Amino acid sequence: MKGALPDLSFEPTRAFWEAAAREELAVPRCASCGRWVWYPRERCPDCEADEMPWTPLSGRGTLFSWASVERALFKPFAERAPYVTGLVAVEEDPRVRIVTTVVDCDPGALRVDMPVEVVFRELSFPGEDGVVTAPFFRPVPHPATGEALR
Amino acid sequence: MVASQASWGRPGRLDDVSGRVAIAGVGESQHSQASGRDPVDIAVEAVEAALDDAGLAPADVDGLMWSGGLPGQLDEAAFRRHFAARGGDPDRALWTSAQGGGMVWAGTAPVRAARALASGRARVIVNVFSTAWATQREAGEGSPGDAHSSERFKANLELPFGWFPQPVYFATIARRHMHEYGTTPEQLGAIAVSCRRHANRHPGAVMHGKPLDLDAYLARPMLVEPLRVEDCCLISDGGAAYVMTTPEHARDLRKPPVQVAGVGEGHSDSGVFWSQQGDFTATPQVFSAPQAFEMAGIAPTDVDLLTLYDPFTIVALMQIEDMGFCAKGEGGAFVEGSRLHHDGGGLPYNTHGGLLSHAYVLGIAHVVEVVRQLRGEAHAQVPDAKIGVYGGYTGHMASTLVLRRADA
Repeated sequence: MKGALPDLSFEPTRAFWEAAAREELAVPRCASCGRWVWYPRERCPDCEADEMPWTPLSGRGTLFSWASVERALFKPFAERAPYVTGLVAVEEDPRVRIVTTVVDCDPGALRVDMPVEVVFRELSFPGEDGVVTAPFFRPVPHPATGEALR
Repeated sequence: MVASQASWGRPGRLDDVSGRVAIAGVGESQHSQASGRDPVDIAVEAVEAALDDAGLAPADVDGLMWSGGLPGQLDEAAFRRHFAARGGDPDRALWTSAQGGGMVWAGTAPVRAARALASGRARVIVNVFSTAWATQREAGEGSPGDAHSSERFKANLELPFGWFPQPVYFATIARRHMHEYGTTPEQLGAIAVSCRRHANRHPGAVMHGKPLDLDAYLARPMLVEPLRVEDCCLISDGGAAYVMTTPEHARDLRKPPVQVAGVGEGHSDSGVFWSQQGDFTATPQVFSAPQAFEMAGIAPTDVDLLTLYDPFTIVALMQIEDMGFCAKGEGGAFVEGSRLHHDGGGLPYNTHGGLLSHAYVLGIAHVVEVVRQLRGEAHAQVPDAKIGVYGGYTGHMASTLVLRRADA
């Protein structure tokens, strides 16, 4: 059975997890035309340039969509269910959608396109060796009330 | 949306095969929960049924298509092994293609077959697909999620966050569709209920004898909200096959021939990554269906019945929109009530029950059902059906197969 931890030796996504270990959210950005390129690929889809250094993002975005997993069909998550997993469109370019787990939330209060922000947490799974720091997202709390912004 | 306006994918390059291929025979194995059977044995049962339907023998077969992407299929070696033992010539020439079988290829197989038929390299071509996933699941030996979990970008950027397997992808897509277009759980339920209603008339369907109405659907618990188990395809053991030949040869065979009128194929530029698809709430049918309908010289309003590869209710709903049966975003209202029913619906849909309620044979039984409808042999028969369509879907690809009764 496939585990859930990332393979840090897989070159195309290694820098994503190295950035997360520094508590940074980073994706490749074309050095030639400035396009954010996600998922990582050999060439920029706009200008075909092949230099795309990993570049930090603000960590802010909107909740593009999500699923509330009531019963996990993926074994490593069996003890975590119910949980919320989904896609965040980043503020720098909403075409870039980061797959994430939504944390610190009331699933019933989530709304499509609500503001969310990155939060870094340790991630490990029962029966799997290792722990990584991973970028999760949470609803942006209102500065005064602490309640989620809509 | 029409294809020329969408920029996130493209149609495939296909020969015009209109009128060049006939389907002369169809057959299925028994469909079941875990049977303990080998998928090759299941496929052999389906091929024998399809040949018998056409009035042909295994010795008449000189072309074979299967799905090269999935293990355990009836490929050339397995075909020779099984049918040589039944009196065929083990060394006879066999035209083969691993670009057949189920999923999108259940719809596009006639394109490759047309070339082999035109060149004379084959005269009778069998396309076959089978699975024993119900048996394999019980044994812990594999599942439909394996192809995704072994993809390394998914393994490194999606699995760590629990965005896996397919019900999670499509719950996320359904939620966004609900947000953009106001689609409701009742509308997804209407699709599941229509499929079950048809399966209840089909003695070979896995969910035969298990009724489901909309109230019962809504009362069921969420699996991955907003999807219930009833929104998801079955996992079952089974197989199906169809026999292709030239229209001229088909006229001399046992059953009224059905002709291939048009084929389409669409691709998403984001490949297998649903999370990054340019239009998150659409399918590559946007690119495929217009190509097939143009080749066939028809409009969506000419279609008498539709079968769609339906791993989830939301996938059927999006394809109905993307193929032009209604405007984008109006699929929810379109599928309500009895619209999809075989009797009295405006668009009879998955009249065998589909992947949701008939069997999980990845679309090839959908093509079998269209052929039976056009012959007037179906269990939930659409009166005087002349044109039937199969829409295939394999995530980053879609296909469209338009079949026409030869006398229509």
